[in-house]
Formats: sequence, C-alpha cells, structure tokens
Amino acid sequence: MNEKELAIAARIKEMLSENLRIPAEELDYEIPLFGDGIGLDSVDSLEIIACIDSEYGVAMTGVAKENFYNITSLTKYVVENM
Amino acid sequence: MSDINARCVVTGLGMINAIGKNVEECWENALKGTPGIDKTRSVNSDDCYAHLGAEVKDSDIEMNDKVDRVSMLCLQASKEALNDAGISNANVDAARFGVIMGSCVGGVVSIENYIEKGEKTEDINKMTIASIANHVANMAGAKGVVTNIGNACAASTMSVAYACELIRAGVGDVFIAGGADAFASVPFAGFTALHALSENPCSPFNHSNGITLGEGAGAIIVESYEHAIKRGAKIYCDVLSAGISSDAHHITAPRPDGIGQMYAIRRALDKSGVDKKDLDYINAHGTGTAKNDEAEFLSIHTIFDDANDHLSVSSTKAMVGHCLGAAGAIEAVYAIRALTDNKVPPTIGYTDEDLEALKEKAGKIDFMPNAMKEKEMNYVMSNSFAFGGSNASIIFAKNEGKMSETENNEDIYITGMGIVSPIGNGIENYIEKVKNGETIASNNLSSELGKEDFDKYDIKLAFYRKLDKLSTMQVVSGIEAINNAGFTFNDENAEDFGMIIGTGDGPLTTVYEFQDHISKEGTQNGSAFNFPNTVYNAAGGYLSIKTGMRGYNVTITNGSQSGLSSICYAANEIRQDRTKAMLASGTDENSAVMNKLYTQLGFVKDAKSDIYGNGNSMNLSDGSVTIALESASQAASHSAKKYAKVAGYAQTHEGVEYGTVAGSDEGLANAIKEACADAGITVDKIDAVFGFGNGVNEVDTLEKNVYSKVFGKEIAVINVKDYVGEARAAAATLSAAHAALTLAGELGDSQDAYFIAGGNVRKDKVDTKNFEYIIATSYGVGGSYSAVVLQK
Repeated sequence: MNEKELAIAARIKEMLSENLRIPAEELDYEIPLFGDGIGLDSVDSLEIIACIDSEYGVAMTGVAKENFYNITSLTKYVVENM
Repeated sequence: MSDINARCVVTGLGMINAIGKNVEECWENALKGTPGIDKTRSVNSDDCYAHLGAEVKDSDIEMNDKVDRVSMLCLQASKEALNDAGISNANVDAARFGVIMGSCVGGVVSIENYIEKGEKTEDINKMTIASIANHVANMAGAKGVVTNIGNACAASTMSVAYACELIRAGVGDVFIAGGADAFASVPFAGFTALHALSENPCSPFNHSNGITLGEGAGAIIVESYEHAIKRGAKIYCDVLSAGISSDAHHITAPRPDGIGQMYAIRRALDKSGVDKKDLDYINAHGTGTAKNDEAEFLSIHTIFDDANDHLSVSSTKAMVGHCLGAAGAIEAVYAIRALTDNKVPPTIGYTDEDLEALKEKAGKIDFMPNAMKEKEMNYVMSNSFAFGGSNASIIFAKNEGKMSETENNEDIYITGMGIVSPIGNGIENYIEKVKNGETIASNNLSSELGKEDFDKYDIKLAFYRKLDKLSTMQVVSGIEAINNAGFTFNDENAEDFGMIIGTGDGPLTTVYEFQDHISKEGTQNGSAFNFPNTVYNAAGGYLSIKTGMRGYNVTITNGSQSGLSSICYAANEIRQDRTKAMLASGTDENSAVMNKLYTQLGFVKDAKSDIYGNGNSMNLSDGSVTIALESASQAASHSAKKYAKVAGYAQTHEGVEYGTVAGSDEGLANAIKEACADAGITVDKIDAVFGFGNGVNEVDTLEKNVYSKVFGKEIAVINVKDYVGEARAAAATLSAAHAALTLAGELGDSQDAYFIAGGNVRKDKVDTKNFEYIIATSYGVGGSYSAVVLQK
C-alpha cells in the first residue's frame, strides 16, 4: 500500500474498532471480516457502509461482497471510487 | 382461588392511533381502509431516504406536560377502556385490580427533549418504560400487580397474556392490559440505519419493502368471567390462551424457518382448545419487511394450508403503521372488534397487478386486499413478533372456550444462580466476599466483565462485541445460572426452558447515547450497530440466542423491584405448566449517563452513603443476577441441588407520584402479608427480611416504619446493598439469591444485620443457623412492591 492507502486502511481499522467494538489487536488488514474471521454480519455491513460514506463520500450500498472481504479490499474500493 | 382454565373476558376497549382518537373512529376508518400514513410531522427526516409516518394528530391527544407522550397516549386509551367497561372504585377491589402495559421505546421523546432542550430534571423521570403503568394505575386507582413488559414489538400482546395468567393464578379480578408507543427520532433513525423503512406506505404481504412507523395505544379491560357477571358488565369476548416463544436466532431478524413463530401459534391453538380448522381470522404481525412477511407467510401456510378453507388474514399496519410496543394491543382491539362485529378489516395498498401476484402467494387464505368483508366468526388470533426473536400469539373467542391448560402444583425450588457484581463475578466469589465481610468502597460502582468471563462460558468475540453492557452482564449471569443448575436442553426440548428478565432502567444508557448521537449528527446518521440494543428485551434475546433457550421469554420493567417480580412471574409460569424450568433475572447498568441522571435527581452525592443511616444518597451500582427455578420433579430428574424453596410471593401497588415512594407504606405492608399468606404462614414465622434500603432517607424510612409495624417485634434485616451497592433490579434478585445461599448454609452461621424495631435500627450479627423462612422485598418508585418468601 502507498501512503494514502495506508492512511485510509488505518482509519477504516479505527472505525471498525470504535463503531463495531472489535478489539484493535484482533484486526489486521488481511483478516476476513465476515464468516469465520471476525464474524461480522449484515447489520455490521450497514454500519461499515455508513462510516465509509460519511468519511470518504463513497457509496457502497449494493456493492459486490468481495469488496467487504477485509480492510485491504475496503481500502482499495475507497481509493478507486473517491 | 387459582383456576388455570378460568374464563377471562374482555369488558372494555380503548384505542388511539393515526386513524382515530377512540375505538369507534379507529375501527370505522380501518374498515373503510383509510390510510393514516403521511410525511412525518414530529421527526426531522430531511436527510433521510424515507419520510413517512402514521402519527396521531396532536388535536386528538389529551395533552399533559407532566408525562411523556407515550403515557399521554396510554392514559387516553386506558380511560376510554375503563369508561367502556364501566369500571369504577365502587365495583372493583383495588387490591385485585392491576395494570400491565407494554412498550418498546417508552419515554424516548423525553430523552430527546432532555438532550435538546436544556437537560431539564423534570424530563428524567419520564424517560423509561417503567413510568407508563404507574401513571395508568394511579389514574385508575389500581393496587394489584402493576408492571410493564418491554418485549419491543410483541410487548403488548404479552401484556394481555400476562393479565389473563394473573387472573387464572387467582391474584386479580380485573386488569387494564395493553401498551403504547410514541413516534420518535430513535426508532425512526434506527430503522433508517437498518434500511428497514419503506419509502412508500408499508405494503404488508405485498411489496414487502419495509415498515412505516406509527404510534398509538391500545387498552383492554380483561376481567374474570365471574367478576364481570357479578357486576353486570357487557362482555365482548373470551380471551383464550397465548403462545409465547423465543427464536434463539438473531437479534433483529426472524428465523427464516418460522420455528419460533409456529411454536407460539400452535401453542396458543392447542391450549385454547381451538382446532386450526376453526380459526376464522388472524390479525397478522404483517410489518411489510421482506424478512417478516416471508417468515409469517411460511408459518401461516405451513400450519393452516391443508386444514382450513376459510381463514382470513390481514395486517392493519397498512393503515396505522407499525406502532411497535403498542402494535399488539392495537391489533388485539382490531381482532376483538372483527370478532364481535363479524367484519374483517382489510390490508390496503394492492394494485390490480399486485392482486394477480397475491393469487399465487395466497393459496386458499384470503389476505383481505383493499376491502373489508363480513363473515360470521368464532375464533380470531393476533400475532406479534419482535426484535430479540420474541414471538407472541393470542386467541379471542366469541363464546366460552374449551381451554386445556394444565397446572403444576409441585413445590418450586431455586436450583441455580449466576452473579455479576461490582465485587466480582460468580457465586463462589460472592460467597467468599460476603464471608470475609467485604463491603463496598465508593458511591459509584460498576461490574467488570472481561476475556476471562467470556472464555469461561465460551462466548466468542463475534458474539459479545455486539452486546452493550446491560446485555453482556445478562448473558454471563444467565449462563452461570444455567450451568449451576445443570439445565440441559437441545433442539427437542428447548421450548421447555424460559426466562423472565427484570430491569429498572433497561438499556437507558444505550438509548440515551443513540439519541445523543443523532441529536448531533442527524436522524440519517443513526447507528445500525447500536440500534438493536435500544430495546429492553435485547438482553434476554441475546441470552436465548447464545444458549438456544426457545421457551417463554419476557422482560418486565417497573423499577428495582422488577428483579423480584421476575421471580414471581417465573414461578407462576412453572405453576401454570408453561415451562419446565425458568430463569429469573434482575439486571441494571451503571454508566456515565446513569450517574449523571441519578446525580441530577439528587440521589448520588459525593461521599459514600450509609444504608438506614438517615442520609440522602445512594451508592449507585450495577450488575446482573439470575436464579434458576424448577419444580420438584424437574429438579429431581437431574438431581439438582436445591438452595431453597420458593414458598410464596406477592406483588402490590400503592400509587404515589412517580419518582417518589413516601406515602406508599401500605403497598409494602400488603406485599409482605400477601406473600406470607401465599406461603401458608403468618408473618411471625419470618426469621429475617432481605431489605432494599439504599441510603436515601425516603426509602429507608418507609422500610423501617413498615417492618416495625408489620412484624411488631425486632426483626433482622440483611441488605445486599452493603456488598454491591444500589444495583437496582440486580440487587433485588441478589436479595433472593443471597437469602437462598443463607438458607442452604453456604454463608456460615452468622451474618451482619440491621435489627429494626419501633422505627429504630441497631447493627449486630444475626445467627442464621436455624433460619426457616426469609422474605425478600423490593420497591419501585411510584409505589410498586414485590415480596418473595423462601423456605429452607
């Protein structure tokens, strides 16, 4: 990741930790957020969408699931759609 | 006298909603299919994707600035119902007259006012659900069982069911049962965040693309048949049985397989003695969300398709919106009028195209698109399904039913407990701390839960991170009680295990923080993550999800005493054979928000306070305590340890201004006398009281005076708040748990106690070795009391 991407990934991690009560130490940029990883669900994804919209103005409603796979994929989507 | 199949009849109705200010208007407009949905007037939806609501016209409400809007609505419907029934002080025994109200969000409008309009002290006592039933009881002069049910959108179906259970238990003749909710920013923002609001008027069983929120109240006078006949009352119909269950699946979504809903519907049919071929009409939950409508379609089709050729189903939410905690009561009133008038109200909003699509989905069932119809009816059902996976289904009959409820007259025992407290978690820890005489150190106490607790009970991060502190404490104390009692259940018998959760302030911290956030960031920015925890039954919902317990699951809320009345309620469920074993909990949370509110009310001061010490402040605290209850044979079936027998219990109300207790002495005195009578003993058999004094003079003085008078001799009073502080409902349940440990000999031969006589107090050790009977007491502001007698 470049500097800009690193900054976005760090901010997304912070939001996940603050808004979804995931301990920061459980989160790295590669760990799968849904399913067997952190175990997020559809309500959590609404929160992620709301956070990314308000922070970066990027709308992710209805966006394909793979973009939510981990912090890296979320970062990539944000960078490409800012 | 208890009579499990006694006739309960409806003798009065009251209702207010978006299409009318009384039953007649609401009913006529529903039959005509008059929509009550318009752009919201009370919530700022400017930046939201949806803008509709079904709000009551302000000109239709009897305004009263002393109470929250939810209580205004509830009082208005209750007055109408009382007048309709012709109930007055002259024809009802106040002690056998109760109030059970249901609500989802309670006084949340007052939380918004508090935050946005200068943090006025007068708004604080309007915030919780607890005040609603108190206001109604005071208006009506009711002095029997007074409480509220907080099971979100199923709350007021449960309140009608509980009122009937109490009549059949022989503890009351007449109840005002129902519920209310006011249109407010918190639910609007929450359902917006969940994308669960429809942009167009909700379209149940049709477009199913979301709900439209509504508001209102429904009130039903439920009365024993004998009482109604004796006073020459007009009778609308009989209330037969109800089915109540828990999905144990998800905190917001219903089980897609409909298992929980179907259990509730089938149980209501079975115990009501109604064959499914004979049911004439269902007022469905029918919210208009895809998930609800799919699950309810499945449940109704699965149960009735091959058995019933004339069933009508409609959702009056298409006209009056989703009135949340009021929905069950409003829809029960609609179902009762449908039954007695032989007219089925429609579900509006179908186009010609929709009608074609409906034909395929409906099968033989008439989903009542657009127009009412007349048909002769004998049995109708009302369904309510809620957040937390909470299901309730109830049946009304035109004539006397063939009820087939059964009773369990065995003794009931406390066989397990779980403790989360500021002095540590777990029973062993509590016993050790009490034996060592460790008392609390400050006036602001908080229970701590961490990885050690979660690992001990195999609670994973993906689960516990969803929970607020109230729910986390509840889950941990609940699992400890299940383990301690040795309850084992599986897919086959999960419905035989249930729970009653008692809470004074419920999730007030979470609701306050949610409101605070949207007050600052806008209605469009509510948190989807936090919203599910704003409902009072989230804690019990999470406990059922974690453990797989699918039986009776109700959250009651009326002050601290909710933690003892949960035991009364749970024991009644076992006596009435609805469940093999029950959990009864008391749970309340301390937080910066709670501390701020109690401090502003003047109850928390800088220094640590003294109980019974003529001071005027409490040591605000929190925790969760759960006890496991089961009948003798059930306990024997798995060789459960019996801590103590639940020998008797009682709940009373002596109405005083909400927020105070002074002047309600008779309520406590009656609770003690009635609980002893229920246990078959005289008050002089009581060896000790587990009291509730908390350092606030008004509370302590009342307690001292009542004990002096009722016992007429020096009585030993043990107070768990010396150990854990004013943990409100948690302290109330802990009183019973601590009393049970005492009777089981787990706490040694003597304990610190207060000896009360003639209004005076001295401290000394009390010898507990030969204790046979202990009574635990608790209070709620407004004058509600519970008492539970435990026997060695």
